[in-house]
Amino acid sequence: MNETASPKEVMAAAIAHDLKDGQWVEVGANLPVPRAGALLGHLHHGPNMTVMIAMTKAYLRDTPVIEEFEFITDVGAMQWSEAYYQHDQLLNNQRHRANGVFFCGGIQIDRFGNSNMIGIGSDYKNLKFRGPGPIGTTNATAQNGTWHLVTNSHDPRVLVDRVDYISALGYGRGEKNLREDLGLPNGGPSSIITPLCVFDFDEETRSARLKSVHPGVSVDKVVESTGFSIIVPENVPITAGPTAEELVLLRTRIDAKGALRG
Amino acid sequence: MGGETVSDVRASRIVEVEEAAAAVKDGMTIAIGGFINSGHPMAIVRQLIKDGRKDLTVVGAASSGLETDLLIAAGVASHVISPYVGAEGFAGIGPAFRKAGQDGLIDIFELDEAHFYAGLRASAQRVPYNPWKAGVGTDLPKVNPWLKEYRDPINDELLIAVPAINIDVAFLHAAVSDIYGNVQHNGTRYGDISMYNAATKTYVSVEKVVSPERIKADPLRTSIPGATGIIRAPYGSHPYSADGYYVPDAEHINTYLAAATSWLKTGDRAELDAYIAEFITGPADHADYLERIGIRALLSLNEF
Repeated sequence: MNETASPKEVMAAAIAHDLKDGQWVEVGANLPVPRAGALLGHLHHGPNMTVMIAMTKAYLRDTPVIEEFEFITDVGAMQWSEAYYQHDQLLNNQRHRANGVFFCGGIQIDRFGNSNMIGIGSDYKNLKFRGPGPIGTTNATAQNGTWHLVTNSHDPRVLVDRVDYISALGYGRGEKNLREDLGLPNGGPSSIITPLCVFDFDEETRSARLKSVHPGVSVDKVVESTGFSIIVPENVPITAGPTAEELVLLRTRIDAKGALRG
Repeated sequence: MGGETVSDVRASRIVEVEEAAAAVKDGMTIAIGGFINSGHPMAIVRQLIKDGRKDLTVVGAASSGLETDLLIAAGVASHVISPYVGAEGFAGIGPAFRKAGQDGLIDIFELDEAHFYAGLRASAQRVPYNPWKAGVGTDLPKVNPWLKEYRDPINDELLIAVPAINIDVAFLHAAVSDIYGNVQHNGTRYGDISMYNAATKTYVSVEKVVSPERIKADPLRTSIPGATGIIRAPYGSHPYSADGYYVPDAEHINTYLAAATSWLKTGDRAELDAYIAEFITGPADHADYLERIGIRALLSLNEF
């Protein structure tokens, strides 16, 4: 059934496969791919995962069809709530983030896994494109035990050699032990997940390395769609997309309306 | 003898929206509660624009919505302190925020939501700053020189000093209050309590003023124990949602977005100014605003 999965379904599966039971995962609003990936992990192999969905703590394995929310403030999510995450208290508690997993977007993401949510242009006071702001990405990428970069646009303008501004720090410019020297609690991003492929990071140079290409995507296609020079290993495996069972979970319970198939 | 007459009657804290807005002078720092598309004190936001306030530092929510965008669009905000200004699915980035950020019309205090609460906490604690770990090694201290990297005196760790975000007046919207300013929210409360803690004065518009008995029936629910003033404002968060009452008014939000986006794309303020005239400076008061929205539109905003 793998060959029939859409690129976003493959991305969701890649996210889910990396999640471990017992982890704490934040599901933002209006981010259909990380949402589906987190829920897939929870339904498929995460009975003890804590899912934060629309500011509430939810357990969703008994919920036949999980509605999608347009807004993080949607009261519809409160039907599942075992607890409310009062936003200021959530941010005051960083200690428990060691067990957390975070998915970071970016208007630019570079080959060292840095993300920019601030803007495009060399003059900060006169940006060519003003971004949304860091939201919580600066902190979440420092505090959560595990984090990934995720983008829906595999495009040379998004995947760049060097971001204009670092709002979430990956591996800087590949300096040895940078994060350790800064005293950051986690070891850095695990991967960049895109509609074409998954990158991980070379242990020596800390530069993005092609980990797998999604079914039907060629290495050449990835290279020409990427704005930085990629480390391409001799053998590049195909990304493990959703299994037949996972695809059924996605299409009937998590993404019944087909946001990932559109 | 002399001195003022002292009343032995407990004073009501109910005020009109005009009185609450009059607590703000040009150049002050104000906070606007809520979160993205929910819980903003819009009757007060509109009054501040009507009053022609200028040069305000606007502390938007940790994720601000278009209430902050509107204060930028209307020329009220000269500084914005917020980690995000946008409307999720309606608009990823606020159009006026984009325009102002690109043209240098306002100063943006670039920070993460964790820094935001660290700054509010410092204000609440009356200390110059609160330390935070995340942000070291990023460009945030470069684009925002108020965030300072420093070595802490206990462990010599590299940290960020987040300056206190001292708020003169905070404006919030909540479900209910008694006449004494004991406010109870529905829902998760977002960051409203942190804003209250960081502010000298706090005015809260509420969907309903209830009896003191109702508040005392569940004191654990009291989120703001003593606001400076309470404003009666049913549908006071419109066009945004109020937990337990109504959902966002997508049509109206899109009307604003179209007007503000026209300014962003063309530089021409005509549509935006027409919106402000129709819905902000035009209406005589909050009730008049609601009449312009229309009772059918308001009654269609059901949660379930």
